[in-house]
Amino acid sequence: MAETAQSKVRMNSRSLLVASALMPALLLGGILYLLFARGTGLRLAAPAPIEKLEFERVVFRPGEIRVHVINTGPEPVALAQVQVGWISRASWEFEISPGPTIPRLGRAVVRIPYPWTPGEPYEIALITANTLVFTHEIEMAAETPVPGPQMLGAFALLGVYVGVIPVFLGILWLPFLRTLPRQWYSFLLSLTAGLLVFLGVDALEDALENAEQVPGPFQGVALILIGLSLSVLGLYALTGWLKRRRQSAGEASAPLLLAYTIAFGIGVHNLGEGLAIGGAYALGEFATTFLLIVGFMVHNLTEGIAVVSPVVRTQFHWSHLVWLGLLAGGPTIAGTLTGAFAYTAVWAVLFLAIGAGAVFQVVIEIARHQARQAGVGSLATGASFAGFALGLLLMYLTGLFVTV
Amino acid sequence: MPRTRLFLIGLMVLAAGGATLYLAPGRHAVSTDPPAAADRRAEAVYGGHARHQPPTRGSGLYQYAPPSGRRFDPSQVYDPTPPPPGPAPNGIREYTLVIEEDVPHEVAPGVVVPAWTFNRTVPGPVLRATEGETLRITLINKGTLPHTIHFHGIHPAQMDGVFELVPAGGQFTYEFVAKPFGIMPYHCHSMPTSQHIHNGLYGMLIIDPKQGRKPIRELALVMSAFDLDRDGEAEFYAWNGRAFQYADNPIELARGEPVRLYVMNMFEEAMVPHLHGTLYRLYPSGTSLTPSEYTDVKTLSIAERALLEFEYDFPGDYMFQCHVTEHMEQGLMGWFRVVDRKTLAQHPPR
Repeated sequence: MAETAQSKVRMNSRSLLVASALMPALLLGGILYLLFARGTGLRLAAPAPIEKLEFERVVFRPGEIRVHVINTGPEPVALAQVQVGWISRASWEFEISPGPTIPRLGRAVVRIPYPWTPGEPYEIALITANTLVFTHEIEMAAETPVPGPQMLGAFALLGVYVGVIPVFLGILWLPFLRTLPRQWYSFLLSLTAGLLVFLGVDALEDALENAEQVPGPFQGVALILIGLSLSVLGLYALTGWLKRRRQSAGEASAPLLLAYTIAFGIGVHNLGEGLAIGGAYALGEFATTFLLIVGFMVHNLTEGIAVVSPVVRTQFHWSHLVWLGLLAGGPTIAGTLTGAFAYTAVWAVLFLAIGAGAVFQVVIEIARHQARQAGVGSLATGASFAGFALGLLLMYLTGLFVTV
Repeated sequence: MPRTRLFLIGLMVLAAGGATLYLAPGRHAVSTDPPAAADRRAEAVYGGHARHQPPTRGSGLYQYAPPSGRRFDPSQVYDPTPPPPGPAPNGIREYTLVIEEDVPHEVAPGVVVPAWTFNRTVPGPVLRATEGETLRITLINKGTLPHTIHFHGIHPAQMDGVFELVPAGGQFTYEFVAKPFGIMPYHCHSMPTSQHIHNGLYGMLIIDPKQGRKPIRELALVMSAFDLDRDGEAEFYAWNGRAFQYADNPIELARGEPVRLYVMNMFEEAMVPHLHGTLYRLYPSGTSLTPSEYTDVKTLSIAERALLEFEYDFPGDYMFQCHVTEHMEQGLMGWFRVVDRKTLAQHPPR
């Protein structure tokens, strides 16, 4: 008897718990119902239609312009006419798939058989049945790369140039770094921290720039916040877990783990950078000149030093160097390929933010490592300051090559 | 880790990097074979137009398909034929013009603007009288704003339709003697007049000379434009209120048949009516019986009009356009389909 009563009480308290959890949501539902059923007393219907179309990607093929749009307004949009402008706009034929009516947050591709010529500026205007006009300007038309063995090869190679080769070249400094006396160690680590802080700020700036291109409902700046904070916290969790595992396995290779953390952070950063480069090329806003590729190579050379600086005084199997280099440089290839053939600002922003977060987390990790190795006081020495400053300066100077 | 091994790895990396640099397609991959690209482009651009082939023989490459791929419903096309000339009963020509606001008007296929209209069309109906007759035009204002009708021509001040407004729900009868002969615009003169005219309150009044003109095939075309987003630049230009309507639905003419075209510019930009395949005798404003010029382009300034007479020597499709190419490409283009009389008798035009 007593038991059933007790379980009944427990049951009651559980249903009470569920009810109290659901109550606010249910009440909100009720109020929303009342609002829709009875109205607010205010005139909420807009006097003119609210429609919004955003251009996600414009693809130039021989004799054809393909416009990828997304409806970011509150209502479905019916596309009725298309005009393409050279000096002045001209009404043009078009086909739209999947259909002329684009639902909210729906995407459509508008195919315009227009005899564009390379190097000319164009304006594209999409006119809806409700007479709203959405325009997009192309600074300079150029044929969009088509995914084929040749172009895939070219963009993979671009990733190799910009990411993989410089990182491995930087790693080649390891023998030289090993000849440096012991007291240079904290200088090197600070140099790495300086390089990484610069990279992180650079990535954040790129992310903010790209965030302006992100369609409104996807909230570019919020994406940066999410990418940044989750990558910092996620990396903390990951390195913590790895450390605990290593300690239980009895291995004392904290410097190597730090090197991998740095390589990972730089790798994610390079993925974002590759996306931005490939995407910019695909959007025709960026001329991949030889000079720019050279600039990126010089700039990214320093990433190799950053990766190996924690292991300068550690013995390890040489194959680790290959993995470190691939982890840091390899993602650039994935980035350039994805950017060139499937660029959207949303992904570029997300990966740039994750990269920035990863890089900042690594800086904190380096500081902790140094403090553990040589005491907290080593962070505030002349060597540390000089290293950090030199790191920033190196990045600034090599950055001069890549700023257009 | 021995230093020598590190150097060996370095050498391998360098060799691999050098090999990729040397073997890579690199920048060559970006350039494509130009003739092949041009062929593909031509096919992509012109291949889709095959279904709109006009009945002429040539290269087989055609352009100027209806821009949306969708055509105007022929029943919606503004009839380019003006009312016939002739004496009015008792010398009094009466018209009723009803103004309505926000009438849906399909300015280009699929694009519907809320227009302000005389008798539910843009432009309003073509009015016609003979010089010396009394014109009695009743304006019924069914809109929400005060409106007027202002006529160009010679009339007393109180019939000028400028100072005195016809309130919403009100009506007024304008009465005056039609003179001089020629093409006279009529339009609302309520302020802001730019808005009232732009939104569609305009039309053409033809006043015939007392002795009449030779009875021949006649057409009336008003050139105007529509600024959808109110940025000061029109998106669509049109013959008789709908962009491309006579490209979708060509106007049939008989070969050798003399044609008289009344044309008027009702937009705040100069327009240049231009005929292909022939020249016209130009009667500026239609106020003279002798042509001033034999040409195929005439710049019509704002609210300017002209009477053009022409004929076609050869059958086929001929474009008539505004020679401001921007206007043409945004809707001020149409086709005359010139056919032999025999063919025309078998398939009379609508």
